[in-house]
Amino acid sequence: MFASEFERQQARRQFIMHGLHGAGTVALAGLLGRDGASAVESSSTQQQLAEQGAAPAIVNPLAPRVSHFAPRAKNLIYIYLEGGPSQMDLYDPKPILNKLDGQPLPEELWKNVQFAFLQKESARLMGTSRTFQKYGQCGMDLSDLLPHLSTCADDIALVRSMRSDQFNHVPGQLLMNCGSALAGRPSIGSWLCYGLGSESENLPAFVTMVTVGRGVPGGSASWSSGFLPSVYSGVIFGNGEDAVQNLANPRGINRTLQRATISAVNDLNQKRLEAVGDPELASRISAYELAFRMQTAAPDLVDLSSESQATLDLYGIEREEPKIASNLGGTGLFGPFARNCLMARRMVERGVRVVNVIHASWDHHSSLEPQLKHNCLMADQPIAALLKDLKQRGLLDETLVICGSEFGRTPLGENRSGSAKVTGRDHHPFSFSLWMAGGGVKGGQVIGETDEVGWGVVRDEVHVHDLHATVLHLFGIDHTRLTYRFQGRDFRLTDVHGNVVKALLA
Amino acid sequence: MIRHALVMAVWFHFLALAGDRLSDGSRATAAEPGVDYVRQVLPILSRNCFTCHGPDESSRVSDLRLDRFVADALGDDGEPASDDEVDAFHAAIVAGDPDSSELIARITSDDVSVRMPPAETERGLTQQEIETLRRWIEQGAKYEEHWALVPPRLVDPPEVRDAAWPRNEIDRFVLAELERRDIAPSPEADRVTLIRRLSFDLRGLPPTIEEVDQYLADRRPGAYDRLVDRMLASPQLGERLGKHWLDLARYADSDGYLGDPLRPDAYVYRDWVIGSINRDQPIDEFTVEQLAGDLLPDATLEQKIATGFHRNVMKNTEAGADREEDRVNRTVNYVSTTGTVWLGLTVGCAECHSHKYDPISIDEFYGLYAFFNNVEDVNLPLPDSQTLVSTTAKVATPSGDPGKPSAEPGKGDPKTEPPSLKAPTIGELAASKRRVTRVHPRGDFRNPGKEVTPATPAVFHSLRTRGDQPDRLDLANWLIDPENPLTHRVTVNHLWKQLFGRGLVNTPENFGTTGDPPSHPELLDWLALRMVDQQWSRKAMVRLIVQSATYRQASRVRPELRQIDAHNVLLARQSRPRLEAEVVRDAALAVSGLLNTAIGGPSIRPPMDLRVTSYSRNKDWPVSPGAEKYRRGLYVLLRRNTLYSMLVTFDAPDTSVSCTARERSNSPLQALTLLNDPVFHECAQHLARRLSAAGTERPRYWIADGFRHCLAREPDDHELDRLVELYLTQRDQFADLDDVEVDALIGQRLEGIDPRDQAARLIVARTLINLHEFITRE
Repeated sequence: MFASEFERQQARRQFIMHGLHGAGTVALAGLLGRDGASAVESSSTQQQLAEQGAAPAIVNPLAPRVSHFAPRAKNLIYIYLEGGPSQMDLYDPKPILNKLDGQPLPEELWKNVQFAFLQKESARLMGTSRTFQKYGQCGMDLSDLLPHLSTCADDIALVRSMRSDQFNHVPGQLLMNCGSALAGRPSIGSWLCYGLGSESENLPAFVTMVTVGRGVPGGSASWSSGFLPSVYSGVIFGNGEDAVQNLANPRGINRTLQRATISAVNDLNQKRLEAVGDPELASRISAYELAFRMQTAAPDLVDLSSESQATLDLYGIEREEPKIASNLGGTGLFGPFARNCLMARRMVERGVRVVNVIHASWDHHSSLEPQLKHNCLMADQPIAALLKDLKQRGLLDETLVICGSEFGRTPLGENRSGSAKVTGRDHHPFSFSLWMAGGGVKGGQVIGETDEVGWGVVRDEVHVHDLHATVLHLFGIDHTRLTYRFQGRDFRLTDVHGNVVKALLA
Repeated sequence: MIRHALVMAVWFHFLALAGDRLSDGSRATAAEPGVDYVRQVLPILSRNCFTCHGPDESSRVSDLRLDRFVADALGDDGEPASDDEVDAFHAAIVAGDPDSSELIARITSDDVSVRMPPAETERGLTQQEIETLRRWIEQGAKYEEHWALVPPRLVDPPEVRDAAWPRNEIDRFVLAELERRDIAPSPEADRVTLIRRLSFDLRGLPPTIEEVDQYLADRRPGAYDRLVDRMLASPQLGERLGKHWLDLARYADSDGYLGDPLRPDAYVYRDWVIGSINRDQPIDEFTVEQLAGDLLPDATLEQKIATGFHRNVMKNTEAGADREEDRVNRTVNYVSTTGTVWLGLTVGCAECHSHKYDPISIDEFYGLYAFFNNVEDVNLPLPDSQTLVSTTAKVATPSGDPGKPSAEPGKGDPKTEPPSLKAPTIGELAASKRRVTRVHPRGDFRNPGKEVTPATPAVFHSLRTRGDQPDRLDLANWLIDPENPLTHRVTVNHLWKQLFGRGLVNTPENFGTTGDPPSHPELLDWLALRMVDQQWSRKAMVRLIVQSATYRQASRVRPELRQIDAHNVLLARQSRPRLEAEVVRDAALAVSGLLNTAIGGPSIRPPMDLRVTSYSRNKDWPVSPGAEKYRRGLYVLLRRNTLYSMLVTFDAPDTSVSCTARERSNSPLQALTLLNDPVFHECAQHLARRLSAAGTERPRYWIADGFRHCLAREPDDHELDRLVELYLTQRDQFADLDDVEVDALIGQRLEGIDPRDQAARLIVARTLINLHEFITRE
């Protein structure tokens, strides 16, 4: 039938691409070029399939696409420290809070505020035993728990005026990661991949690596594609030899045999797609193609043998972990977290569009001092190493790095009923800190300011929606024009909100 | 700004749109339509206004309440109303006169400082919603109860134009909605599709070739009905429908939390569920026994075993955990799970505050809590496992079941089989140890509030008590009381969802005001009443549904309906759900001939990548010996912290809470599982052996045979050509392969066939079990 295996493969590829059409045009139609909210004229996969009968275009749902305007960032590394790290112990020095330690908070501040565990009537302000110093030419104040990140002060933009609406973890995570506290929405990474496609033919466009500590309360919703086609979902990577489960073929199945199987599977699925019009078949075809390519690319990706000892040391992959009695964020994770940071760089090098590095948990309702310190020991060096490594390889300019969480913590000590001592802080969505670097962000600056006890934002509030608008902007996307029609309506990551934070742009 | 608000409101309401659109559409042609409070007004008020002007006293910000009508110092809920509330209400809503109603003035104001909802709530009304409220006031501002709280009304099935299509009453309800929109239903699916559909839906297994042939050969009238009867009599029915129930029951084989200790006896309850469904225990009895079997007069062993339902809750046994806190958490879970499973209400919201959208106050939550507050765990010694299974899961073995139709109980894993079985059940504390129940304001049990006694929420029918003090048995009887407006509706909705992939109410866990309204409200009510009429027979209801023309439609996607009904709410075709996780496994084991159809017994451990368990404290995963490891997916050990990864990849629930609807994802990891997971590879090897036994002469013959094994239907020429091409190409390539490689590939050589030929057939076999159609119920 075919003169050579090569020709057969070519023919097959054409065949597959036709098959991908269903899922593919979704993205294109929903995207760039046309204006405003009417960008999507026909959006759902079903709609596209119906029209494909006549003259199917060849479209891959993950093909790279041109953005609205020139992008500053090509890749995103999103480090998510789940649970709400304490901003006044890490990023936002509050000398007056220290002076007021043990004082009640004025009632007007807490009267209508909700807490998870804190008894607000009897709660007292809690200072910090951390010490802050100025770092970099910019003179950024950072805590002694961040000795490594401090050396990157001139590269990072620290936002001290973040604001969320959500008080509890799961809705907070959904808002922070998907733009809405309601479940079922696409995550930031999914929107970016939908908007821009993948730069990698062999790896997922969007990878999630979770360092297993306490577990992520919101679960996979934080990297889910929501109502977007599932090809835009984050794919979980481990950092062992067999990075993704079942990545290795069964004994006796070599690469050629695997290819032959998948080709036959997809040809037959394509045939069925034509017969029954079910868009899930198009997704299945694309899932098999990606699975096959991942089988080669992933083992190479996780093989760190080509990395120099200097690089391994920079990330601290072989560090000893100090002993701690118990830790909410887990123990034995110094190596895995550092590896995940290094893997993030390797993924970006290979064109993975979005890498989500997650660690849980920083939810320090109690034992904040020892556990925050332990978590920082784990995270500070590898994160700083990632910034330095990206920079020295010339990747930082086009890689946006974000380090954040769903909210911060209260300046009040958490006097949870039933707990003997006050050793932690409760959730605090009204003001918290987050930093960004690279990818068109103007480093060496602090954005916004909180009041003297760190309760509320007093200058340049950056709402979660504003952050999302800014992230899309850095990728060359107008957040009001990246839409997807679902249930009769054009949806966006920022809903009807969001202002690009101009001060963050380089 | 208006546009802003408009988009905003749609945003918050998108979940309800599908249902709303149906009702709006149906009214579009009527002259001067009457506004339906329950379906059109209440959702607007509930989502935009009730947080501050609703039932929750703690978040109410003014005297005005919009959730109830008030007059003469009384609300329509029978509760007193202050003068201030009455004044505020009648200023806000002047019946018949929207222009004098403050409500209309406030929602249409240009002044941001007075406009409702306030800007900071990020809510807003669309022009259409404002118009709906205006017309509602114009027409008299009539308050009615939320549809789900009004008992169902028996409506005659509507007349339809195409009187030939309906096979039973269900179809007239469905067809009437379709005809209203000039949509024709899909043609009936072909017979092969029908048997495969029924087989997956009722047994969770593909039909065998023999079963397909038997059905195709039956040309007498009533062949389909006879097929349905065979399926309903199959012991696999209990496994299939039982698994749905076990999702609701948050069944697992371990405690969860830090150490995740195993519950080696948990399966006793699982087997009870299977047995109950197989003997078609009426659902009302099924309900009462699970909630209060121990309180029945002269309770039998089985009735007590049924109370294992609430023993499935997660339990924190970690050293240092607050035992009382954990007990309170579990008790709260009893209430919220009971609410979700039987009432379809998110009563759990009222644990910490009065419900913001539905009429359940915090006091009423603790009234329900009081029914469970004196529950204690009772581990009931059982005779021995053999006897147990025979009393619970034993069923008649009909002919024509797939695989080897043996109803013998599984042997289980000797490592987990306890020396003596103790059924996890619940009982009531002795009189001397009984606890007083108090409200936990804001959900904090350490600051108890006022004392409450067992009581059901006031909005419902009254509770009938047998003794002085209401107890769990009274509560269970209250749930199945014919006056209860929810239990039967919620129950038939679950059954419907299992057979159509989507409920008539698309939020099976939430029939409250923030849930979706039913797509076919009259059909839902009709089914609910019919079920009661049929003595709550599960099999009768399933039979009725699968006999409908609606169920029997083809599932081909209809491009012309994409704009009108992208989610197939109108049921103009069948759905095409991917098989559930356990069924994906079962299908592969079945077509390979490996499936062990033993019913019941201790849970098993198939081979699994140990990386999954390495994250946990209990890393031990001894693979079950012999044929035990080939048992059905629902018998795989569910250890909460380290769930069997194949099941997770295919969206099995995490068992932490009651699961009313599984996700259905489609990912490269699923592809890698079907291609590479050792269990699936072994299935492919065995399927290849089945196909090798047919001889080598005519590839078209054995390939078509394999195709039918896997998909029930015959391949068309193109499909057959492609598979033959695959086979021939691979056979040629294997000529160069050395013996070691070939043997590794095929696992075990068969007599009478060249091992390279066998290897080429393996490639065909694994292709078949990787087809999308193989894991799809069409």
